[in-house]
Amino acid sequence: MHRSTPVAEAAKMLARLSLPGLVVIDDDGRPVAVLPCVEILSMAVPQYCQDDPTLARVIDEAAADVFAQQLGDRTLAQAMPGHRWAPATVDGDATALEVAAVMAGANSPVVAIIDGSGKVDGVITLTTLLERVLG
Amino acid sequence: MSALAWTAVVVFTVAYVLIASEKIHRVKVALGGAVVMLLIGATDAHHALFSEESGIDWNVIVLLIGMMLIVAVLRRTGVFEYIAIWSVKRTRGRPFLVLVVLIVVTAVASAALDNVTTVLLIAPVTFLVCERLAVPVVPYLIAEAMASNIGGTATLVGDPPNIIIASRSGLSYLDFLIHLAPIIVLVMVVFIALSRVMFRGSFDADPERVRGIMELDEKEAIHNPRLLVLGLVVLGFVTVAFALHTVLHMEPSVVAIVGGLVLLAFSRLDAEDVARDVEWPTLLFFAGLFIMVGALVNTGVIEQVANYAADAASGRLATASVGLLWGSAVLSGVVDNIPYVATMSPVVAEVVHAEGGGQQASALWWALALGADLGGNATAVGASANVVIIGLAERAGHRIGFWQFTRYGLLVTTVTLLVTTPYVILRYFVFGG
Repeated sequence: MHRSTPVAEAAKMLARLSLPGLVVIDDDGRPVAVLPCVEILSMAVPQYCQDDPTLARVIDEAAADVFAQQLGDRTLAQAMPGHRWAPATVDGDATALEVAAVMAGANSPVVAIIDGSGKVDGVITLTTLLERVLG
Repeated sequence: MSALAWTAVVVFTVAYVLIASEKIHRVKVALGGAVVMLLIGATDAHHALFSEESGIDWNVIVLLIGMMLIVAVLRRTGVFEYIAIWSVKRTRGRPFLVLVVLIVVTAVASAALDNVTTVLLIAPVTFLVCERLAVPVVPYLIAEAMASNIGGTATLVGDPPNIIIASRSGLSYLDFLIHLAPIIVLVMVVFIALSRVMFRGSFDADPERVRGIMELDEKEAIHNPRLLVLGLVVLGFVTVAFALHTVLHMEPSVVAIVGGLVLLAFSRLDAEDVARDVEWPTLLFFAGLFIMVGALVNTGVIEQVANYAADAASGRLATASVGLLWGSAVLSGVVDNIPYVATMSPVVAEVVHAEGGGQQASALWWALALGADLGGNATAVGASANVVIIGLAERAGHRIGFWQFTRYGLLVTTVTLLVTTPYVILRYFVFGG
């Protein structure tokens, strides 16, 4: 998805298609970040609740149910501090073991495949990889 | 002075500048400086590790470990969140009163615990409360950092410089309470009044939003009542033991470490997990500083400086106290007040000793504590609490610029010093003479 996509829209798409994560690209189609679903979720959780999970308990149910509304129109680019998510990528000729190593190293269920010019050429999900490896 | 003494001064100065510039992490600088002092022979293993005058001050290190363990357990109880939210609800969401409550809670907690932990605990609550009230969070955060520095001045354990001063001077927990707490209460009142003026544009809240505050359920914050009771009982015993440590013939460091270990032992928590909350890098920073300052003691530099200071102060203790108060504040605004007090303490100890160690001579210790602690408010980098608050604000998308903080800081520091100056003069030289 392009970096200017609103986080809320990206989250809705992940939920609708049951995807484990997404690849964020820039104007040239190069990967900016590979975001597992849980990272998208954390963008919606107030920072103070992440710093102090106890505070999530004191918030009343009515307010707690609409916590995702605080995302507003924030885009993926605005929600990413930048340095936290080095994109997990592999070349088109990567072996299953290479892909698994990148996934494990980045702790990401999604890996972007990049072509010779550095643009995103496809995506491999954890499910796809496991099906391929385990038969 | 000998060539070795001058070399030690150069090493110390370079380290000090590097710490102040923050180009290299302060722990690396302090430990690197300590190693160089050992290599050039300005100190040795015996002095660095075992000397009370020129080595690592184990009282300070052990006291800090003990208090950090207590805080590490207490923060897992939710008691801070409970107290903060309960107090805020008593204001019925009126923004200025919310600010006053947050200032008071922060200051009181900082007097009992270390400042950084206090602001780490109070800042998330502040984000929640300000979001609910739809008021700007930055003024509240700035006020809390300053309240933390002011409140921490009141007790022996409230701010690391006080711990160093206590260890070097032999002054007791009660001495700190008797000499510093009264003026800090007055400073707090002035600071609250000042906050009303400084942040006057931050107190407009929609009545609809105010209801959101009353919906918060602070009881949900307490998720381990047994741990809470245990933690409060141990903290209570430790505080009483601090107050009675001269009667009990126990060093504050022993009180703190016993309290910390007892609490950890009975908490049923994973000791390794709790121990991760102890700020080991800070303790290493202290150790490196003590070795560097010890090298200056060994080579006679501190004695030389102290002799000059004693000559200058002789017969002019009131002027010296006021000079130390303001000078310490200026330097602590520029450099972290921990290395400043670690360096000044042996000098002040020599001068107090040379002046006979009476009530008026001891005023120098209180001037040092007040100046160094309150001076931390002067700039955005003057105290660890300021740096932590600014970092938390930035992470939450609320940038606090250096000058945005500092323009408030300079005003608050100047006003608080103007309040403390007559206190030092009147208490020790007009009525205490």
